[in-house]
Amino acid sequence: MKLDPRTKLFMVFVVSLIVMMSATTPFLWAIRLSITLIPIILMILEKKYSSALKFLLAYASALVLMFYFLSEQSEGLIASLLIGYCGIVVQFMPAIITAWYVVRTTKIGEFMSCMQKMHVPDGIAVSLAVVMRFFPTIKEEYSSINDAMRMRGVMLGGGNVLRMFEFRMIPLLFSCVNIGEELSAAAITRGLGGDVKRSSVIELKLGIADYLIMTFLAVATVIFVVFKYFL
Amino acid sequence: MENSSKKLKAKDFITVGIFAAILFAVEFAFGMLGYIHPYIVASYVIILPLASGIPMMLFYTKVEKFGMITILSILLAIIMFIGGMGYLGAPLIIGAGVIADLIAKSGQYKSFKKIVISFGIFNLWICANYFPILVTAESYRQDLIDGGYSAEYANNLFAAINVKTIGVLVVLCFIFGCIGAVIGKAVVKKHFEKAGIA
Repeated sequence: MKLDPRTKLFMVFVVSLIVMMSATTPFLWAIRLSITLIPIILMILEKKYSSALKFLLAYASALVLMFYFLSEQSEGLIASLLIGYCGIVVQFMPAIITAWYVVRTTKIGEFMSCMQKMHVPDGIAVSLAVVMRFFPTIKEEYSSINDAMRMRGVMLGGGNVLRMFEFRMIPLLFSCVNIGEELSAAAITRGLGGDVKRSSVIELKLGIADYLIMTFLAVATVIFVVFKYFL
Repeated sequence: MENSSKKLKAKDFITVGIFAAILFAVEFAFGMLGYIHPYIVASYVIILPLASGIPMMLFYTKVEKFGMITILSILLAIIMFIGGMGYLGAPLIIGAGVIADLIAKSGQYKSFKKIVISFGIFNLWICANYFPILVTAESYRQDLIDGGYSAEYANNLFAAINVKTIGVLVVLCFIFGCIGAVIGKAVVKKHFEKAGIA
């Protein structure tokens, strides 16, 4: 199923908004869970089964831990570590899942033409597109740097923290800067930054699925806000 | 953005995007530590400026025109919003970015003194993330507990970050921003200028 990038952006927006307002009653939790399930279902529809399963398991296990084993009165080291872990997952997982879904399924071309349609200034659109494309790159580069360091015997535990940090940060910056140069060369070849208005091969059109999902998200948000603040 | 000769090019936007991603990766890596203990949340003002000093100083060597630091702060605000930090801090983040940009501009983006101060100001975006905790203190605390945190965590968080300590945190943030800038500059000199990248 192909969704319009605008729908995806709206989804990111709504999920971030709802993540921010904490759910306090079971009903609010239900809304929050159903909104979290949307990107997971979409992921399954896009045939990204393993990631969908991973996210689902992590989120579900954190929820179960949080509500059945931890309480307001929990104290002590293990409990506080667990609360830390579950806190991250429960609080931010929906946003992370949605962001992951959007980043993985949106092509940069689509994203740019969507930004153009929404009349976002070029500067912000280009920078955002780069940020989007860059997270996977950073992760990849980091893991290869880590491998290289391990091969040369620079382990995580060995030596002091500062050197550990330096040995990873500097090579990472080097490769990021180099990739950046290549990226801007490629972008200029494609006519980015010209004076003429860019056209796009991709025609964006909102389909039925887009309208359905947007309506659902909007309604869910309104209900959430009303039930949290006005009832 | 500005007059035509100082106009930002696609290359500049790409540079900003890359450094925003790096900055966020650093922030994310250290930010996760905050869940271990609330005092670590408060100590972000020390950890983050020091950690982000190196990439930011490299970034400053690439800044020549007005607007790049501003856009960086806008991107940070957007990413923070998506990351679930809320929109309350966003105007503050962007405000810090604009001021930092202006200060660096007054030194033509070359004067190191101005860059140090500019980076110190820029770091106030970290404090902007505390903003919701301050403004909505009562409901925020209740939210945390209802949201599954223990009362112990919430109490510690508010012991560390409240209206009284925020002044200290802002000052610390600025000071460590300046220290981070100096360290970052030294590292950039050691590694990047020799290699001809900066």
